[in-house]
Amino acid sequence: MPRRNGTTTEPRGSALYEVLKGIDFERRELVDKTRGVGLFDLVKDKAGAYKCYACTLCERTCPVDCIEIDYCPEFDELPFDVEAERAAALLTLPGESCGAGAACVMGEQPAGFVPEIDMKLFDPVISGLRAGTGLVEALHTTQEAYGYLPRVALENIAEEAHLPFSRVFGVASFYSQFRLTPVGKHVIHVCMGTACHVAGAPLVAEAFAQELDIPVGSTTPDLLFTLETVNCIGACALAPAVRIGDEVTHARVTPQSARKLVRQLRKKEA
Amino acid sequence: MATRSTSERARKTRITKALKAAFRPELATGGDDTVKIRVCAGSTCNATGRAAVSDALTKELAKRGLSDKVEVVLTGCHGLCQEGPIAVVHPKGVFYPRLKAKDMAEIVETSVVGDDVVERLLYRDPATGEAVTLEKDVPFYAGQTRIVRAVNGTIDPTSVDDYLSRGGYAALAAVLAAGDPEAVIDEVESSGLRGRGGAGFPTGTKWRYCRANPGEKHYIIANGDEGDPGAFMDRAILEDNPHSLVEGMLIGAFAIGADEGYVYVRHEYPLAVSRLRIALEQARERGLLGDDILGTGWSFDLKINQGAGAFVCGESTALTASIEGHRGMPRGKHIRTVAHGLWQQPTDLNNVETFANVPWIVSNGADAFAALGTETSKGTKIFSLTGKSRNSGLVEVPMGATLREVIFDVGGGMQDGREFKAVQLGGPSGGCLPADLLDTPIDFENLTKYGSMMGSGGMVVVDDATCMVDFAKFFFEFTAQESCGKCVPCRVGTQRVLEILERICAGDGTEADVELLERLSDDIIEGSLCQLGGSAPNPVLTTLRYFRDEVMAHVVEKRCPAKVCRPLIKYVIEEDACTGCHVCLGACPTQAISGERKQAHVIDQKLCIKCDTCRQVCKFDAIPVVDAQPALVEGRQQ
Repeated sequence: MPRRNGTTTEPRGSALYEVLKGIDFERRELVDKTRGVGLFDLVKDKAGAYKCYACTLCERTCPVDCIEIDYCPEFDELPFDVEAERAAALLTLPGESCGAGAACVMGEQPAGFVPEIDMKLFDPVISGLRAGTGLVEALHTTQEAYGYLPRVALENIAEEAHLPFSRVFGVASFYSQFRLTPVGKHVIHVCMGTACHVAGAPLVAEAFAQELDIPVGSTTPDLLFTLETVNCIGACALAPAVRIGDEVTHARVTPQSARKLVRQLRKKEA
Repeated sequence: MATRSTSERARKTRITKALKAAFRPELATGGDDTVKIRVCAGSTCNATGRAAVSDALTKELAKRGLSDKVEVVLTGCHGLCQEGPIAVVHPKGVFYPRLKAKDMAEIVETSVVGDDVVERLLYRDPATGEAVTLEKDVPFYAGQTRIVRAVNGTIDPTSVDDYLSRGGYAALAAVLAAGDPEAVIDEVESSGLRGRGGAGFPTGTKWRYCRANPGEKHYIIANGDEGDPGAFMDRAILEDNPHSLVEGMLIGAFAIGADEGYVYVRHEYPLAVSRLRIALEQARERGLLGDDILGTGWSFDLKINQGAGAFVCGESTALTASIEGHRGMPRGKHIRTVAHGLWQQPTDLNNVETFANVPWIVSNGADAFAALGTETSKGTKIFSLTGKSRNSGLVEVPMGATLREVIFDVGGGMQDGREFKAVQLGGPSGGCLPADLLDTPIDFENLTKYGSMMGSGGMVVVDDATCMVDFAKFFFEFTAQESCGKCVPCRVGTQRVLEILERICAGDGTEADVELLERLSDDIIEGSLCQLGGSAPNPVLTTLRYFRDEVMAHVVEKRCPAKVCRPLIKYVIEEDACTGCHVCLGACPTQAISGERKQAHVIDQKLCIKCDTCRQVCKFDAIPVVDAQPALVEGRQQ
């Protein structure tokens, strides 16, 4: 590749120019933006296929929101081959057997877990989506039904809402309340709010982790317990507070009483 | 002209009639003067066993055949959360805190059937130890000025009639009768009400901008995504008096010309969501919400939108993105949400507490509101006082009250006679203020001047057992985790600050690190896209400003003065004080403690994980925490 030495007539950055010479650009005017001079180029490879595979990184990092990845089937004027793109996006994600791949983005399933997806439970989600509830609401309903967000449910939501799977998965993984792996019977939420922190919540979380022998944010192999921390459950006067399940809140928990709680629950289950 | 005023009068009469028709007094629980027992059913009291208490009470009343004569009202939060479960016996107003199911028979016997008080169950003023009989005399309540929370704790939050019986929706009726949106905006603007979510933008001005912006449709949103750890005033409004929010939003919607609104609530507040849902249903049923409100032909409807656990969704543009079904990522605010908000339409977004102030302003007039507070900050503010103060709970005081008044007069001072060290205001976006600044009047400008901020009103009091470096680290763990990752200064910057703080806490920090912290913090503030990054360094900057000695002790002397940072401390057993009772030995999770019965025990430092259990269980204070490297400390000090 010729180096830029002052004698050549090629434009600056000629090395890059060489690479890009054989590539067509498509220029699309950006509308609805304050600075109306922006242009959006999509790079094609030599075979004429678009190189973009909708990883949404550019969309996510653009500070002024002038990129939008949108290859919704409703807009056929978009340059994507929707089906091919969707298939390609799905290929970058692991297959149905979630526990198999080490690089599984959906998180590792607890050992001994056999996913059982009752699609009947999914009907309210679909009817909700048809009635115009938002995506976040649909995910909440799904999680209420299954306790977590199974991959097949996310795919169905994507199909029903005419959204790319990547978008649904993106939203599901963005919010900390959504879980992509199944939970144990007892979900232990250790509050990590400020008041709980100064009252010793980190020690309490650690005591739970030791007693259950799992790190925070995971589930025991027997699917009995899931240990999670939450930012604040708003029970600051009871610090450190621990909520087990959706109902019972334990006040002023100490590392010792935390261990006791686990032992009591184990005994009850045994 | 005459016909117009006649039709106006007719309209007013119609609205007044419609409001009267909406109210069914027979369903309301009535005032303080009848015999009734109000049991607090706030989240905190629920968590401490309210259900058992109210069940026992109902059973006891049924047993005595008093069920028809004595009403049991499950009210919203009374505010003094750490004393829960709370019950107040009317007509006298006798206050009973920390109730147990087994106490209820005695209370019914003495205070309901008889006319006496159960002395042993009364609240005792922690400062003097004296018993306080009546709710209004409890020092925690006596020091407050309640506007927003005036009726919380006396009404049943699931009953619209209770709210109506206290003059609820009268402000809405007045606004609709006058029929002049601009006048409402003028009123709110002249009251000086500023946003209670943290930034303190004048609410009236925001409404004016929103109204003036053209769009197919205007939206109004209440921001109840109270993500600040240590703040729960919005939850309290939603749980205790949801109709005050609904009324405030209706007035706001009428002022800006919106016909659709959302309440964005955290998913972590299930009780708030269910009570709000009930409130909306009841309001629709009575013609206070939905189509043709109070017979005026004006329509407005509210939807609940649950968040899903993202602190950044408190940011207006991230919140609208979340409602639209996207990741909750903010955008640059070169165009404000009042021009392009939800679905690209003009959107007014206010905090829940801001809306709850509006009905009071309309009913009592802007001047009455402006009479409270300071030059620049008007009205009252609810703080959630937590941490190491004696009383924890919700405190509503006028703007301009000093920190000392809130923490020592209302809050009752420090627990266990410990020393006040700092107060953290505004959550992860705020800062820690030291004891020297206790006499600072609280308002938006003052707090910002001292490097903190109002935030949503979290007020966490810490004593000398809290390490300020560890505390700052805690906030950065939070912001680094909650940073949405859109812009580099926040995504990478908070992570790097956290790493430096971790180094300092581990005793590996250098003086260059401290300097780097300051520089990096400035860059994060300067470069971040939204206020999450723009205010994230406040905790560390205020720590460096007011507690530099403590930071330098970690860096130079490698010791943690508060004895919190684990690599810098160790647990030892004092031979003289240890009685050899075996309690710590049994409690130790790693079997690091050994020793014969009745002989001093020893901690094996290799096995010790510094979990603090042994110190907590020791009845003889024989396990002090000492510096891990005393030689180094002494050497440096010489």
